[in-house]
Amino acid sequence: MNSNSNKYNLNRRRLLKGTAATAASFAMSPAMYRQAYAQSTGLENVHNTAASAAKELAKGRDVTLTILHPSGSLGNVKPVADRFTKDTGIKFEYLEVPLGEINQKVLLEAISRSGSFDLALPATFGLPDIAESGVIVNLDDFAQKYEPEGFQKDSLYTIGDYYKGSLYGYQTDGDTYLMFYNKPWLDDEKEQKGFADKTGMELKVPETWEELDAMMAWFHRPDEGMYGGALFRTQYFIAWEWWGRFHAKGYYPFSDELEPQINNDAGVAALEELIAASAHLYPGARTNGLFENFEAFGAGDKFANIGWGGTQKYLNSDKSKIKGKLAFGNMPGGIVNGELLQTPYFNWGWNYVVNAVSDETEIAYLFSLYACSPELSTIATRDPAGYFDPTKGAHYEDASIKDTYSESFLAAHKESMKGSIPDLYLKGQGEYFDELRVAIAAADAGTKTAKEALDDCAGAWSRINRRMGKRSQLVQWKFLKSSYPPAVRDRLV
Amino acid sequence: MTKTADNGAGNNAGAGIDGSNIHPSLSESQKRSLVPFNIALVLPAQITIMAVVVVPTLIVIWLSLSDWQPTQAVPWWHGEFIWFWNFFDLWYDERFINSVVRTLAVVAICITVELALALGLAMLFVEEWWWKRLAVSVVILPMMIIPVDAANAFFMLFNDRGPINHLISIIIQEPFTFSWLSHPTWAMVPIMLCEIWQWTPLMFLMVLTGLMSLPQNQLRAAIALGATPARIFRKIMLPLLGPVIGIAVLIRSIETFKIFDPVYILTRGQPGGATETISMYMYNGAFVYFRMGYIAAAALIVLVLVVSICLALSKPLKRHGG
Repeated sequence: MNSNSNKYNLNRRRLLKGTAATAASFAMSPAMYRQAYAQSTGLENVHNTAASAAKELAKGRDVTLTILHPSGSLGNVKPVADRFTKDTGIKFEYLEVPLGEINQKVLLEAISRSGSFDLALPATFGLPDIAESGVIVNLDDFAQKYEPEGFQKDSLYTIGDYYKGSLYGYQTDGDTYLMFYNKPWLDDEKEQKGFADKTGMELKVPETWEELDAMMAWFHRPDEGMYGGALFRTQYFIAWEWWGRFHAKGYYPFSDELEPQINNDAGVAALEELIAASAHLYPGARTNGLFENFEAFGAGDKFANIGWGGTQKYLNSDKSKIKGKLAFGNMPGGIVNGELLQTPYFNWGWNYVVNAVSDETEIAYLFSLYACSPELSTIATRDPAGYFDPTKGAHYEDASIKDTYSESFLAAHKESMKGSIPDLYLKGQGEYFDELRVAIAAADAGTKTAKEALDDCAGAWSRINRRMGKRSQLVQWKFLKSSYPPAVRDRLV
Repeated sequence: MTKTADNGAGNNAGAGIDGSNIHPSLSESQKRSLVPFNIALVLPAQITIMAVVVVPTLIVIWLSLSDWQPTQAVPWWHGEFIWFWNFFDLWYDERFINSVVRTLAVVAICITVELALALGLAMLFVEEWWWKRLAVSVVILPMMIIPVDAANAFFMLFNDRGPINHLISIIIQEPFTFSWLSHPTWAMVPIMLCEIWQWTPLMFLMVLTGLMSLPQNQLRAAIALGATPARIFRKIMLPLLGPVIGIAVLIRSIETFKIFDPVYILTRGQPGGATETISMYMYNGAFVYFRMGYIAAAALIVLVLVVSICLALSKPLKRHGG
């Protein structure tokens, strides 16, 4: 009895709840039954209930689910799928596509309706377009039926799972933007004194962009083989830093009427500061991509870097010369109305979504629920070669995950995840950001002034608004604004 | 009528469909069955042309007047009709205009350099020498390489830490770390060099063929009369080569206007759109952001532009009876 109770995670309360739900099911309507079912299953047991339900649905059939996943994530996905197979008998096939092309591939399914995959892992920022295309299932009904109470509350960032108030996917990757600093340089007393004498600021983990820029300028001594930073200046990545700098000045990218306000004084100042900071970066900042960035900062001759959990996985490995010599922090903030405003930023992530053309939408949903359960998502996040970062409270307690990331990093990561502002989850996000990237890269390359670049971008954004349907975009923009963390929401205009 | 009768039945295939030129000995029922047969002969070709040219063109015209995106979850014929808004937006789309102008500049520069190199090389190869065959094979090798591979080679060459910077460092005797591919002006150089390197051989082959088919009597007469090689080249060879050069320039211009592989591999249009050519712009619009209506409008504008340029380039050919 004891072993059984452990196996099924039974306790008196759960047993009573389950009994009550079963008894009530005979009397209640199916809708009420669903509610009761969801409530009767506990969070820690969600993977078992999801697997049991999937097994029941697949009873007597040979079911194989196909997962469309971004390259490099198999190490995160497969252990969970293997376990699901063991629990249910449902098998898996995998379709790997390049990291930057998965959203395109999912959108192409909206045209072909081939049903070539049952589940996909698109980048979170593309979810609005994918949802609008009708290619993925609105998961509200399934969630009402199967999702236990508090399931989403256990996740530290869920804004990207919803579009216009409906659930479309479950987040698997805690991609909040974080800062990495060269700790021995920060702790050097001689540097601390020199920096304080020159700038009047304390040399510590910077809280504001102004402090960070000053520190990068201070440490930038190419003649001595020291560089201020390794922040991204390639077109694909550059807009995210500006996004952080802009929000830290206290503004939303759009007004309440969806008029772009990126080209206001704060936006221009943020861009000018970004451009000025470019002078204090290492020479490869404008050409190097993600993995070259890891390698460059891992060389240990740069003061600051920006990145995600994946960055830390590399920096905390034996390949990195700076392993164990790092300090971490939120993305810097700004001083708004005399007070510090911090705007940590969730700018990537991957969501499990279900193909609307799949023959097994319900089983596919149940696998998503299973994969994102506290226990199984911990297994997925453990893979040191994969790039799924912690998203749930349980992940931060896992010894293996602590070993992979280091405790000091996880503390900073958790704090950042809790307060992260969302990406621009509007239909056409890719187009908005493409215009922004091009504008910022053009200003950084010196072909336009900051004001010209942002004016052009604001004009392009207005045209995108009109084309996407301003009224529809406004609905989602209001929803998105309401999703900003309260501490930030109340201070942005 | 007599002439038709004399020509026999073999000419009936070309007879008018009203039957006026049909052989008089045929019965009325035979005449009736022959008319559809004539149409049937032409029909497959017409249907093929309709299917591969007219229908797609009509679809593109329709799309250009709609805001359809495949991701709207409606079929293309249900896309919202928005009149000329796409064209209006394109007029104000700085990236589109810049990409067209940039592409035209790339065409002008690449074709000029390719032609000069091709002429020079062809002059070297017009005479017979003992390892000419081997040398021709070596010269035309680049155009046999898959464009993506060629572009990748140039990406490696012009990388920050690539051989080009290393070579310059050796020459100037100090570290040279210029970021070719992220410089707003210089990033275009590796792209154009790649295009020129790969496609000069094609131009060379066309020019060499033209040179080898020049009438030898005129050249021999000029030599006998004491004309200098430069004068022979300018006054005899170049004018006679005119049609060949015209065709070579026309073909290469059309091809270069579509330049994509080197741009995609080397810079993807970066930094800040400084290397974005029209193909790159349209690829992003159509296959990354699925703006089919908008890009259809852009494609129509580009089509009109390319056809106009081709007509202008082919005018001199008409003077030569082309």
